[in-house]
Amino acid sequence: MRPAERMMGRLAARPGERILGWLAMGALAAAAIMALVVAPDDAQQGTVYRLMYVHVPSAWLAYLSFFVVFVASIAFLKTGKIRWDRLAASSAEIGVLFTALTIVLGSVWGKPVWGTWWTWDPRLTTTALMLLIYVGYLAVRKLSDNPRRRGRWAAVVGIVGFADIPVVQLSVTWWRSLHQQPSFQLGHVTMAPIMTATLLVAVAAFTLLYVYLMSLRLRVGRLEERAVATALSPRLGQRPDALIAEMDGAGQGSVAEPAEELEPEATRRA
Amino acid sequence: MLAAGRPATQPPTDPPAVSLAGVTRVFGVVPALVRVDLSVERGEILLVSGPNGAGKSTLLRVVATAISPTYGCGSVLGLDLLRDRDQVRRRVELVGHRTRLYEDLTAQENLRFACDMHGLGRSGVPTALERVGLVDVAGERVRTFSQGMRQRLAVARALLRSPELLLLDEPYAGLDAEARHIVDDAVRSMRSEGRTVMLATHDVAGPDLATRTVAMESGRIAGSGSFPERILS
Amino acid sequence: MTFLRQSAAVAGKDLRIEVRGRYALGAVLPFAATLLVAFGLSLGPDRVLLQRTAPGLLWLAVLFAAVLASRRAYESESEDGALEGLLLAPVDKAAVYLGKAAAVAAQLLVLEVIVMTLVSALFSLSLGGNLPALAAAFVLGTTGLAGVGALFGALDASARAREAVFPLLVLPLATPVLVAGVKATAIATSGTGGTLGSWIGLLVAFDLMILAAGTLVYGYLLED
Repeated sequence: MRPAERMMGRLAARPGERILGWLAMGALAAAAIMALVVAPDDAQQGTVYRLMYVHVPSAWLAYLSFFVVFVASIAFLKTGKIRWDRLAASSAEIGVLFTALTIVLGSVWGKPVWGTWWTWDPRLTTTALMLLIYVGYLAVRKLSDNPRRRGRWAAVVGIVGFADIPVVQLSVTWWRSLHQQPSFQLGHVTMAPIMTATLLVAVAAFTLLYVYLMSLRLRVGRLEERAVATALSPRLGQRPDALIAEMDGAGQGSVAEPAEELEPEATRRA
Repeated sequence: MLAAGRPATQPPTDPPAVSLAGVTRVFGVVPALVRVDLSVERGEILLVSGPNGAGKSTLLRVVATAISPTYGCGSVLGLDLLRDRDQVRRRVELVGHRTRLYEDLTAQENLRFACDMHGLGRSGVPTALERVGLVDVAGERVRTFSQGMRQRLAVARALLRSPELLLLDEPYAGLDAEARHIVDDAVRSMRSEGRTVMLATHDVAGPDLATRTVAMESGRIAGSGSFPERILS
Repeated sequence: MTFLRQSAAVAGKDLRIEVRGRYALGAVLPFAATLLVAFGLSLGPDRVLLQRTAPGLLWLAVLFAAVLASRRAYESESEDGALEGLLLAPVDKAAVYLGKAAAVAAQLLVLEVIVMTLVSALFSLSLGGNLPALAAAFVLGTTGLAGVGALFGALDASARAREAVFPLLVLPLATPVLVAGVKATAIATSGTGGTLGSWIGLLVAFDLMILAAGTLVYGYLLED
């Protein structure tokens, strides 16, 4: 396959991606059925507790996403390969989404149970702070259009941010526990086996969803890089695929492939 | 695209002072350097000429490892531009657009701090100030200095470090005759010591010292020649 | 030169610039004072309420002062591109980081002494209770704040961008310092409310985390 076709192949949705999408949908459907129909009502909270089946997996996904950001950030700083930065950025975006979802669901769940939209529940508060930290991560990515510099700065935030989360959680938990009478916390619902099973199915379904969303987002990332490379191509006299391969493959500043030098006029590609 | 001419009789014992292969530097989608191949032998005084925006500053900054190439690779004094940056930095000094001075410190304090950061002793500071004619104002804050005085202080810093490769980016900008003389003196002493200099300028004063000229245009090397056959932009 | 001496050189340089520019005393301190007065006004003249909220308000003022001081620490680096000078020197970048953090911490500590006396007066907060613990809380908390500020202050893109993003980064990350600092201060000044040990411990943990992380990654922030 010529390099151009190979490149286009990578940009279109691969069959694997589609299968993943269907799998995720299926798993979510199964989880929904279990959560809404199969699992019984809770003794204390009635039917409202079912929000847990979305809230807890969301929270799990948030932490998973940011862990991926953490690992990818370290890998990027160490290797300099853009693909790690792309991974980190994608995971951060998805993570912010699910963190926001976690907070909203937690709030919605809390209203009928506690009577207010917000209490300073340690886990909810930590999640809110986590959201702010990773919104900061995304904001830092906007500070520079130099891909490596942007990636480095973001990586620093991704690493420090994740390292800080346990400390934040501990501090907020201690802060809270000094005040509060032991009210039942979100998630501490006594769990019959069927409820546990439903929760696990929901977690698995959300994890599949995460993987699917990541594959989508990574593809968008590659498209973005291709757009930049296409813009650069005429000015540098090289084909976009060669530029991308050079940037992506060998880390920082690799030796150029024997580049076909194109005449400036001839580089207007369709 | 020409490979920069190399003096044919150079025995290949020492690695060249600068060796760039396909160096490209992009800012956003704007290429500042495009597939630059350049080879500079030790002891050369290379003049890099070209209009504003030609990429001269970017070229020097890449060689200084202040910025890294987007594509391509290179080496300075045999040390890899990407992997051995700290070692390159020990041996190279860039006197650039920005003076990198601290406004609220005195001339002397600026030089002393530079010594500390480069692991040098402070004993050379008075001599360096003398050579650039700033002894009288050694205790004045840089904030009170004129552009010419700041440039001279930057040159003093370069002299202190006595780098193997000196990079000068528009060193004559805003300087009076005496200050220009100081810059030229510094280049001459580098030459006499067998060290290498790359001097980027669109000023016509520079060429007298150069052993070779390279012209840049739109991020590319447009031509080269040895003095006096220099190519003016 | 050794790591420590280079670090000290950086800290000394920053402090010398501060003494000459007098930014911390001239601008940050009045800002903190204004903030405290504003807090007092917005909460009303109820003495008991003010007393209870004093530790929180004190640490909020310290937090904002830390943001300002950290930003200032990098302004002198950007005037003539001096930060690039630090990049191009073969100095260990971690030494630069620790030096800058030390300088910011020193400035903040001086500020805090003054601000504390102010709070003591404005909000009738008696400082006598447990002075060593109070000092420990402030020293540790300040170290943590300086650690965060010296790290992210190096995001050098443009002053405009830095102004918005920098506080957004610092404040959530510094939450443990805020929480632990306030609690420790409240316990130390009132003598009740819980065990100091755990809060001090938390501050130590945060300091170790941020200084270790900063030491490892600072170099990457300066490159390119």
